[in-house]
Amino acid sequence: MNIDPRVRIGPLVLSNPVGVASGTFGYGAEYEGLMDLGRLGAIYTKAVTLEARAGNDAPRIVETPAGMLNSIGLANPGLEAFVARKLPELRRLSTSVIVNVAGSSEADYLRVVEALEEAAGPWSPRSGAGGATGQEGATGVDGYEINVSCPNVAHGGLAFGTDPAQVERLTRSLRAATRRALIVKLTPNVADIVPIAKAAEAGGADAISCINTLVGMVIDTRTKRPALARGTGGLSGPAIRPVGVACVWKASRAVGIPVIGLGGIMCADDALQYLLAGASAVQVGTATFVDPRAALKTLEGILAWMEGEGLAGIGDIGALFGRS
Amino acid sequence: MLQFDAQILGNRELAPGWKELVLRWNGAAGHPHAGEFLTLRVSSALDPLLRRPFAFASFHEDPDGASRAGILYQVRGKATRILADLGTGAFVDVLGPLGRGFPDAAQLEAEGSRPLLVAGGVGLGPILFLAAQLEAARIPASAAGPALIVAGFRNSAAIPRAGFPAGTVTCTDDGSSGYRGTVLDYLSRELPPGNWRLMACGPAPMLAAVATLARARSWEASLCAEQWMACGVGACMGCALPVPGGASFLRACVDGPVFGRDDIDWGKEGGGR
Repeated sequence: MNIDPRVRIGPLVLSNPVGVASGTFGYGAEYEGLMDLGRLGAIYTKAVTLEARAGNDAPRIVETPAGMLNSIGLANPGLEAFVARKLPELRRLSTSVIVNVAGSSEADYLRVVEALEEAAGPWSPRSGAGGATGQEGATGVDGYEINVSCPNVAHGGLAFGTDPAQVERLTRSLRAATRRALIVKLTPNVADIVPIAKAAEAGGADAISCINTLVGMVIDTRTKRPALARGTGGLSGPAIRPVGVACVWKASRAVGIPVIGLGGIMCADDALQYLLAGASAVQVGTATFVDPRAALKTLEGILAWMEGEGLAGIGDIGALFGRS
Repeated sequence: MLQFDAQILGNRELAPGWKELVLRWNGAAGHPHAGEFLTLRVSSALDPLLRRPFAFASFHEDPDGASRAGILYQVRGKATRILADLGTGAFVDVLGPLGRGFPDAAQLEAEGSRPLLVAGGVGLGPILFLAAQLEAARIPASAAGPALIVAGFRNSAAIPRAGFPAGTVTCTDDGSSGYRGTVLDYLSRELPPGNWRLMACGPAPMLAAVATLARARSWEASLCAEQWMACGVGACMGCALPVPGGASFLRACVDGPVFGRDDIDWGKEGGGR
């Protein structure tokens, strides 16, 4: 059977369901020598904020059992430098580029998206459709992932993502600013992810991605201080995968838009759990640090599994959930 | 830079807690330079999860064209205990060479100063590699004088049998071998005057101290930092080191790990270990 690995996210067609998660892949160039970036379904960039951010004090990362805790603090060169230096590089890539956007206020997010719309120019489904990017018509921005879930900054981030009213308002104002795919990235640091997911949908999001990291702390018993300079950080890696799968399972039953699953995916089996739980696509994050080719191996494994199950499309996977 | 499975050619103990790992190197990855590093995935299990960075301590090309790369490491935690148990013939997932190393021989020759190579603890590996590269490039002959190596350890039992070049000054905190005192004690009290050019690798407090001394003596200096990192290729922003003034950070993995004397706020390096 011929497998069609493409996935639709709003107006955007991804060439396959496996992307690389924001914050784990820079702006693509860092891994260019180690793999064929064109085989990725999407690159979700490191967050872009209005102003440059130096990030948090060191130490910023510490390993945990089957995971890692980070407090990077959205370190990034800022909108202007992103447009001048990173956008031309992203335009050359033959994969879909989703720019992750973060901010301290609603106005910040809006200004970043408006400026990127202006810098990248008009977008049509043709320029983003699987395989067409990186060639004539590629704009370097095929969509936005709105980060309302970063646990490591003092303002914005997580504060937005835990309030349904704020998520809906922010999503609505960004929706009015772009025709590109609009994805809202949700935090698991809430009592119930469903109201937040519904708020993003009501605001006009094309998809939600979940989950961002879980707030955690490691204490060095020798120094009696937190291992990270900022105290708490965001937990990622295979330790959090069951939390992510549960969030995707709940959210995908509550909304009609696609859910992009991430959190601890190390291999195809992990990704398949997300797809069975209701995700339409996945992102590989921390695993890339462990094995730069983890996302590509995950894709190969998913396709092999689909062949074994006799499935033709990614969307068929979720339909198998609960059946033996 | 290349990711490949490297066969282990040797993994021998150099002193209690010290080991040397020698890997069959893939020539397509390029030749490593002193100060550059590799990362290893010591196990396919999920704990420990992350790759571990190690500085190159040696590199040899054999007459048949094959090459070998070595690292020195101390068995200190979960990952290095697993690494210590890997035997000859086993394969390990390697990514490298990574980072920016020490100034090369041509640059040092142009400066015309006398190389002063200072190592503390596990910083010994890259310093021995640098000494070997300078020796191979005949830098001692053309520079202001032969390179001097000063290496510090806690005590004589902590000194690895790593093949120190003749003339190496070893310092021990307790005086059980060589000079009694730290490398900083030696440099500030015993070092003969000269047109020195400092290159150092060691724990954060040692780097902070030698950076301060280098400024006071107006020595050019290149210092090799250690920092926790996740990716090793510039993507994760985890291995940040503060620049003086604290307004921004540099990444140990791609901006370094070798930095100039005044590039980093060595006293606030924070977390370097």
